[in-house]
Amino acid sequence: MENNVVLSVRDLVVQFTLRGQVLTAIRGASLDLYKGESLAIVGESGSGKSVFTKSFMGMLDKNGSIKSGEILYDGMDLAKFKTEADWLKIRGHRIAMVFQDPMTALSPLVTVGRQIAETLELHQGLRGRAAKEKAIEILRDVGITNPERRYKQYPHEFSGGMRQRVVIAIAVACNPEILICDEPTTALDVTIQAQILDLLRDLQKRYGLTVIYITHDLGVVASVSDRIAVMYAGDIVEIGRSDEIFYDPRHPYTWALLSSLPQLGERGEDLFAIAGTPPNLFRPIKGDAFAPRNPYALKVDFQYRPPYFDVSPTHKARTWLLDPRAPKVERPKNLDRIREMGGFIHE
Amino acid sequence: MLKYVLKRLSAAIVSMFIVITVVFLLMRLMPVEGYFGGRADSMTEENKQRILENMGLLDPWYEQLLNFYNDLIHLDFGRSVTLQPNTPVVKILGKKLPYSVGFGLGAIAISLVLGCSLGVLMARRQRGFWDKIGTGYIVFINAVPPIVYYLMIQISVTAATPLPMLFNERKPLSFVLPLICMALGPTANYAMWIRRYMVDELNRDYIKLARAKGMPNNKIMVRHVMRNAFIPLAQYLPSTILFTISGSIYVEALFSIPGMGGLLINAIQKQDNPLVQAVVLMYAVMGVFGLLLGDIAMAICDPRISLSRKGGSR
Ligand SMILES: Nc1ncnc2c1ncn2[C@@H]1O[C@H](COP(=O)(O)OP(=O)(O)OP(=O)(O)O)[C@@H](O)[C@H]1O
Ligand SMILES: [Mg+2]
Repeated sequence: MENNVVLSVRDLVVQFTLRGQVLTAIRGASLDLYKGESLAIVGESGSGKSVFTKSFMGMLDKNGSIKSGEILYDGMDLAKFKTEADWLKIRGHRIAMVFQDPMTALSPLVTVGRQIAETLELHQGLRGRAAKEKAIEILRDVGITNPERRYKQYPHEFSGGMRQRVVIAIAVACNPEILICDEPTTALDVTIQAQILDLLRDLQKRYGLTVIYITHDLGVVASVSDRIAVMYAGDIVEIGRSDEIFYDPRHPYTWALLSSLPQLGERGEDLFAIAGTPPNLFRPIKGDAFAPRNPYALKVDFQYRPPYFDVSPTHKARTWLLDPRAPKVERPKNLDRIREMGGFIHE
Repeated sequence: MLKYVLKRLSAAIVSMFIVITVVFLLMRLMPVEGYFGGRADSMTEENKQRILENMGLLDPWYEQLLNFYNDLIHLDFGRSVTLQPNTPVVKILGKKLPYSVGFGLGAIAISLVLGCSLGVLMARRQRGFWDKIGTGYIVFINAVPPIVYYLMIQISVTAATPLPMLFNERKPLSFVLPLICMALGPTANYAMWIRRYMVDELNRDYIKLARAKGMPNNKIMVRHVMRNAFIPLAQYLPSTILFTISGSIYVEALFSIPGMGGLLINAIQKQDNPLVQAVVLMYAVMGVFGLLLGDIAMAICDPRISLSRKGGSR
């Protein structure tokens, strides 16, 4: 992996105002994204995966804003962007997004081809015939057969998987540097899921994209990502290469997350579920946000927020367990079976 | 598309047929005095019978019905008996209709332009300046009986400006006030609907996608939001237009415009059966026709309809 950072997030804090109350959705998260890599962000629902990535594109809901921190990209600090004109330099053009639900993501009154062509007009300066031909080419690229005919059709004439291909085509038509896929396959059935992931992998190579996958399906993660960031309560608690996260996880939350893999379940036993509920983001959080649910929690976890401890040059985790003074704690035995099962990680 | 239109059209023709028949049957229930022109008391029984005989009203009902259809096809609605004795009904309508249609179309044009613009302005910045102004206006129009603000406008504006108080065909300036009055209500309605539908659309996923692909807000508004917001409106537009051009009772009375506005009420009061029949028929046909046009308008705007089998049922 080249050490070429395209996007660098520093101590990002994102807050929402809801009926006069302030909710802190991202609590000082940091991330370096490397050129050409594919990074997966995993974490349970509400951990802030979508909010985190939306803040790179100025797509936060109206009641939300970046409170502090930096998002450095191409010599700019996106966190300082205020106006629509600022964001138009980034949206689509440099960073594009694929959403979860392809059934509702396309405008029902505009032909599929038009929706791609208008993207080309916005970002590649193509007009008329040129835009149409390029749009047909992209449709073919994303695996749509008979693209000339499909170009003239409306979204309702496409199936869910086909529509997601169109949404991806629109993202690709932007010719972006970074592609954010927010649960790109959650709404699709399993066989289609695999095809869409294949397509994304293929496009990443062909167009030299840097891809962020958001998902809570660890199976998906393993098959597509070079690196994995584990998110909990608005912070990245562990990040490392996929093999490091799967074979050598260090944060107790990552342990819990991996333990809930159905493949690790014993026949006839209930699947592992993480006890307790995520913290209330309306209140300030003291210490490690995961501590109340963490069976391995130390006293210090309730007092001070842990810093990142390096496990390897590519792997770090935010847990006091990695402090040299901490008592030695073994991770759950069943996690070792992930390595035995193998085949989890691509290449 | 063509198939859809043909289907709608045949359904409309069937309902038109039913409506016409029902109107015919209802008219047979009206007191026959409506055919004697108010002189029923002074007429001998023989005279009455002769008049009815002449009008074909003593024939068996099925012959009457056939004659009725036959007359309709030839646009013969009979002659007025009391309002303008012996004048063909078609002629009366033909004289009055242009005024109502003219003012109606004018008012619709004004209110479409103003109402849609206002609605768009309101939707663009919710709780912004225009939204507040517009909401106040809509509430006012819907809360206050029209006759009140019609009168207010007529009295205050004519006092403050040289605009004439009553309609005069030869003075175009006298068209201004009635047009304004007639446009006020529909403007509020269009603004309200456009705003509502646009706000609905603004929260849709495809608007997010359009934003994420870097489309400027103004373009999103025009290409995606307004287009989608217009569909539900398209269905009702023809009906409201037809309704407006069939004449406004208040405005026409207030500015003494010789339009269709009070015709039905007058005809009923004066027991002018043929005229009542013609006007009722006209309204009924307009209603059916308005729905038909609405369905077709929606099919033109919405590609999802022309293909789906039961498209009209939404
Ligand atoms: N517009 C908003 N107003 C208030 N709170 C919000 C808003 N958007 C998101 N949040 C809150 O921010 C937190 C993070 O939400 P986010 O959508 O990023 O979660 P997520 O990790 O993407 O979850 P999921 O897997 O369900 O998509 C949640 O607690 C959510 O309630
Ligand atoms: Mg999400």
